[in-house]
Amino acid sequence: MTPNRLRPTTPARLLAAAALGAAAAGGAAAQTLTYAMNQDIRSTNPGVNRDGNTDAVAQHMVEGLVGYDAKGVAAPMLARSVQVSPDGRTYTFKLRKGVKFHNGAEMTSADVLWSWNRYMDPRTQWRCTSEFDGRGAVKVEKAEAPDAETFVMVIDKPSALFLATLARFDCGSTAVLHKDSVGADGAWIKPVGTGPFKLEEWRRGEFVTMSRFAAYQPLPGPPNGTVGGKRPLVPTLRFLHVPDAATVKAGLLSGAIDIADIDASQVNELKATGKVSVVSGPTAQMHTIILQTKDPLLASKPLRQAIAAALDTAQIVQAVSDGLGVPNNSVVPSASAYYTAVQKQGFKHDVEKARRLLREAGYKGEPIRMLTNKRPIVPSFEVSVIAQAMLQAVGLNVEIENIEWATQLERYQKGNYQMQSFSYSARLDPALGYEAIVGPKAKQPRKVWDSPQAQALLDKATEVTAPAERQKLFDELHRLQIDEVPIIVLYNNVDFSALARRVKGYAPWFASTPRLWEVSVQ
Amino acid sequence: MLGFTLKRLLTALPTLLLVAVAVFALVRAVPGDPASLMLGDMATEASVADLRAQMGLDQPIVAQFARWLGRVLGGDLGQSIQYAVPVLPLLLERFMVTAAVVVAAVAIAALIAVPAGLLAAWRQGSAWDLGVVATATLLMSIPSFWMGLLLLLGLGLKLGWLPVVGYVSLSADLKAGLVYLVMPVLTLVLVESGVLIRMARAAALEVLRLDYVAHARAKGLPEPLVLARHVLPNAFAPTWTLIGLVLGNLLGGIAVVETVFTLPGLGRLLVGAIFARDYPVIQGCMLFITFVYVMVNLVVDLLYPLFDPRVVAE
Repeated sequence: MTPNRLRPTTPARLLAAAALGAAAAGGAAAQTLTYAMNQDIRSTNPGVNRDGNTDAVAQHMVEGLVGYDAKGVAAPMLARSVQVSPDGRTYTFKLRKGVKFHNGAEMTSADVLWSWNRYMDPRTQWRCTSEFDGRGAVKVEKAEAPDAETFVMVIDKPSALFLATLARFDCGSTAVLHKDSVGADGAWIKPVGTGPFKLEEWRRGEFVTMSRFAAYQPLPGPPNGTVGGKRPLVPTLRFLHVPDAATVKAGLLSGAIDIADIDASQVNELKATGKVSVVSGPTAQMHTIILQTKDPLLASKPLRQAIAAALDTAQIVQAVSDGLGVPNNSVVPSASAYYTAVQKQGFKHDVEKARRLLREAGYKGEPIRMLTNKRPIVPSFEVSVIAQAMLQAVGLNVEIENIEWATQLERYQKGNYQMQSFSYSARLDPALGYEAIVGPKAKQPRKVWDSPQAQALLDKATEVTAPAERQKLFDELHRLQIDEVPIIVLYNNVDFSALARRVKGYAPWFASTPRLWEVSVQ
Repeated sequence: MLGFTLKRLLTALPTLLLVAVAVFALVRAVPGDPASLMLGDMATEASVADLRAQMGLDQPIVAQFARWLGRVLGGDLGQSIQYAVPVLPLLLERFMVTAAVVVAAVAIAALIAVPAGLLAAWRQGSAWDLGVVATATLLMSIPSFWMGLLLLLGLGLKLGWLPVVGYVSLSADLKAGLVYLVMPVLTLVLVESGVLIRMARAAALEVLRLDYVAHARAKGLPEPLVLARHVLPNAFAPTWTLIGLVLGNLLGGIAVVETVFTLPGLGRLLVGAIFARDYPVIQGCMLFITFVYVMVNLVVDLLYPLFDPRVVAE
């Protein structure tokens, strides 16, 4: 043994050499785009065993007849065109030619029909079956493939939400799949779709890797929501499960992670390192305070109006988003095509008015409990703390009850609360946003706003398809919501993504899901 | 020995049954619904009802328990709600990751702690002793997540010696797998060696005061031999018990360390299952952890006579 081998730096060298070896084990690490996910996916089966991360990952492998464009409007994806009959009940989808599945087979209407029948088979356990069997938005009465390029669906009544629901991420975009996706017994194997990336491997609790689908047929033009250009520009894509925010940060700074969503408080710190850039964009995710209108106390409209007047939305948004969010009191997302001057008219912060309304409501200091949670991905807790201070300032006795998300969600579903600091996931069509809150509480306890007038407007908005007519309905709904105050929308979330310097072409978008097509590494 | 082992295994059965009942009851008593969680805030009443029926959650609670227990007795821990795969292979796969880290860490920690504690006791009151005690106290005081983050930032980020995220299984690539295990193992070694050092030192101090040690010295035996032949074997037995407890405890999950170092271990599986209300996985993990704890303690007890001949396993 030479003296040189005993130098104290030897272990360090060995470790470094081993680390390099480990890195080399990744082989084409330089060609791999790594995106950090805070949670593992639940399955590779689109729209079945799913959550937000599962939907986002699936979007890279599968596509539906329609998708969402950048403004949240349903637009053709695998369909070349969509024709609606004059009575609004028959949808004729002409399919794009030359679209290939990951196994090389060419997509035909038979595949669309097979996929649809599989979704509607109760054994599939599709999350959206109830949306299309008459219990939800519509009932699909007939689906057929008259020729190889045509797929026809007949629904029971005209619906403005039919295409939007087909395109929904939680429905897996009603993806068209090849039969090879399932075994002979119908059991799920893996997605054999038409998306820009092919599934390579999913290791539970670790990562999902995909490879570039060389035969992908992109739509022309730049990226546009989940339609538009979707070229796979990197050979390998890896969704890496990293649950700890501090580890994500270390991964970004070390170069092991290329893209990660971060919260507002980390933006300046990460920018200051000079090793990553940060991009941001408004989304349709909605941060709100919901009020239980059947609660004996909060049934009082003046009391709810007093709460709205007591809250300084701009200040709350400024504080919880580090000044990067834009106040929006409307259910219509600020980035929506339907967001106009009407939606910009929100609640007015007026302490004196709040006090006057409290007197009018006969409020005598009864306690009001506000549920909240500390999930790191939403500002619920921060919102509740600031809101509590503002409400107490006008004499409202608001107490905060911080609970775990599963418990809060269950209480939301059952309507078991007075107030909640609550965040809604992105709903790209405003009618879907209103659908989440408007409805009869007796039948649907989760509904926040039990108003016949609002229900009639919503029903109309789900039927008519003309944008101008829908705009009028959304305007009316907004004015009514501001007056009745069943919900206090605060703002639409701003997504922040930290990018390694080598990443080009990535941007957050309206739906708050990652889009890793048309993204390259240099 | 065989009789003792069988007796211990039989006494473990009521423990496992009690744990099964308690875990099932507690998990179901916690608010939150797996179907609602899976479907999220976009769920409709109809879709939640459909999913609950598919999961069997619409059945009476007693029927659910009876069905689950029946499966467990047949060696089937059920199907994960979250991943839709059988629980037993899933948790065995995750346990192997945890076990690799924990066994290596506890072995290394013991190899450091026992000599360090012995030497500190031998030189009680010296600078070495003070240094060992102070270091052990400091290590005991540092939470594992903080130690992990310090190592991550130091060895991973600042020095760039080790990868900061990811995991490679030992079976897939031994060399790369070992590299990814260095920091988690080191974290546990540092955190757990503190308590083992303290125990080893205290046990050695007791033995050093005994007459036979004085006798060994009086008859002119060199100090290294006194320590190796008379002090170490007698002082090791209590430390061995503690090593067993630490091992059993850590094998039950090192969720924090696994989270910091993105290890797909048993602890992270359990924490994820709790948040997702994945009842079969929670129940399966808790039963499995109890079983592991019982087995580790059994092995410790069976090996105890090797270190202390006064103890007989019967």
